[in-house]
Amino acid sequence: MKWAVELDQVRMPMEGGEQPAELALTVPPGEFLALVGPNRSGKSLILKLCVGLAACEEGTVRVLDRDLATLDDEELSQLRQRIGVVLQPPGLRSNMTVYTNVALPIVYHTGVDYADLRDRVMPVLEALGLEARSEYFPAQLTVGEARCVALARALIMNPELLLVDELTAGLDAEAVLRVERMLMEYRRIHRMTMLVTMHSPSALLQRADRIAFVRGGRIEVMGRYAELAERPVGALAPYLTDRPAF
Amino acid sequence: MIGWLGQRTVDGYTYLADLSAQVYLTLRELVSPGQQGRWAALRVTFRQMLFTGVDALPVVSAIALMLGLIVITQAGTQLPKVGGEGLVGNIIVVVIIRELGPLLTAFIVIGRSGTAITTELGNMRVAQEITALELMGIRISRYITMPRVVAVVLSMLCLIFYFDAVAVLGGFIIARIKLTVPFHVFAQAVAQALSLTDVLVTAAKGILFGTAVAVICCHHGLSVHSSYTEVPQQTTQAMINSVTICLLLDILVTVTAYF
Repeated sequence: MKWAVELDQVRMPMEGGEQPAELALTVPPGEFLALVGPNRSGKSLILKLCVGLAACEEGTVRVLDRDLATLDDEELSQLRQRIGVVLQPPGLRSNMTVYTNVALPIVYHTGVDYADLRDRVMPVLEALGLEARSEYFPAQLTVGEARCVALARALIMNPELLLVDELTAGLDAEAVLRVERMLMEYRRIHRMTMLVTMHSPSALLQRADRIAFVRGGRIEVMGRYAELAERPVGALAPYLTDRPAF
Repeated sequence: MIGWLGQRTVDGYTYLADLSAQVYLTLRELVSPGQQGRWAALRVTFRQMLFTGVDALPVVSAIALMLGLIVITQAGTQLPKVGGEGLVGNIIVVVIIRELGPLLTAFIVIGRSGTAITTELGNMRVAQEITALELMGIRISRYITMPRVVAVVLSMLCLIFYFDAVAVLGGFIIARIKLTVPFHVFAQAVAQALSLTDVLVTAAKGILFGTAVAVICCHHGLSVHSSYTEVPQQTTQAMINSVTICLLLDILVTVTAYF
């Protein structure tokens, strides 16, 4: 597999935008790409394109070697099992506890009972500081906790590709550190490709292999953190930070 | 005016096409060989049956008893006045077993479970739970729709026969206070009036009503887009359409079987 994600001359209308989005992007397997930019710039759109939630009018979207336009429902469903996604609303099942929410993908796809998954689910919850919340329902969680649960659920199937919309939104400083540690650990072990959007500065940017600055439905600048921090383009400067990584 | 009528006609056809597609998807999920999600779907089916079937027993019993009491009392007291004692069994079979039993059961299921399904799915749609499930590779037709349709059909079928039994037997016991007809005469009259066709038609109604209610309520729940205010609107619409389609199906089956 040459590219984990390939957006080739993609063109599509943007919600509320005057100009259509025009995107070209290639992400090699195992890369951590951070997408930064203002609200409604098209960052989330890139993630939605990658997971088949949005379809382009022109161009090709290839994810994990599959052209999304050629997939039927069953094939798309199979592909999505290899992708972990966290959207801005966490989308947790409101009538399920934190534990059963995280275990749901495994239970559904493998038929294993919830009770038999403690060895697999609890370490993930512990790593994210959620072990004491395992029997809570989503309504009892804070915004940050709910997002961490959604992240745990996305990681539980050991995805080849992880897509996270606004990774640090709603998280306190400790939770951000835990999430950073966990993602780096998963990346190291599973060689997972990561596309993460951020609209505020974060130390996590320094961990990214590349940073893409998205604005008006286009990728305006892309490069390594050190290169971009050295000569930040005007609009990109507020997103870069000198805060040391953990 | 013509434009409005045309639009309404197109909307009606589109709606029926959507419902038919939902029925097709459900049947496909039911018979497709894929094993993924079977156990999770089975768990959802059992939970839905518990809510739609078992939890509904008290209210179904109460309504069946009251209906049975009314019909049996009227038949038992009015028919002898016109020399129609022998028709008591026929009246009970026609009124309770063939018609009111299935219809009232369907209305109870619509009021209790149909509205609950639409509300639940609508809220899930707004909270992006449905999207999150799809993104996990979980098929909505397998995990959400099919278990609910299967559970509502099975529950409806059982509840209709339960309703008929409670209405006829329980109604008789209550009405016994006023009636002079002995039980064996009453039971014999009902048994003689009841044919295999009646049982099969009642079962057919149960399957058709259950499918219609579940599919309509799932469809409306999943039709909610982005606002919580849409949920009660879709729930009301689901309820009205379920009642209407159940009545139409009832006419269709009755006319086909008995006319």
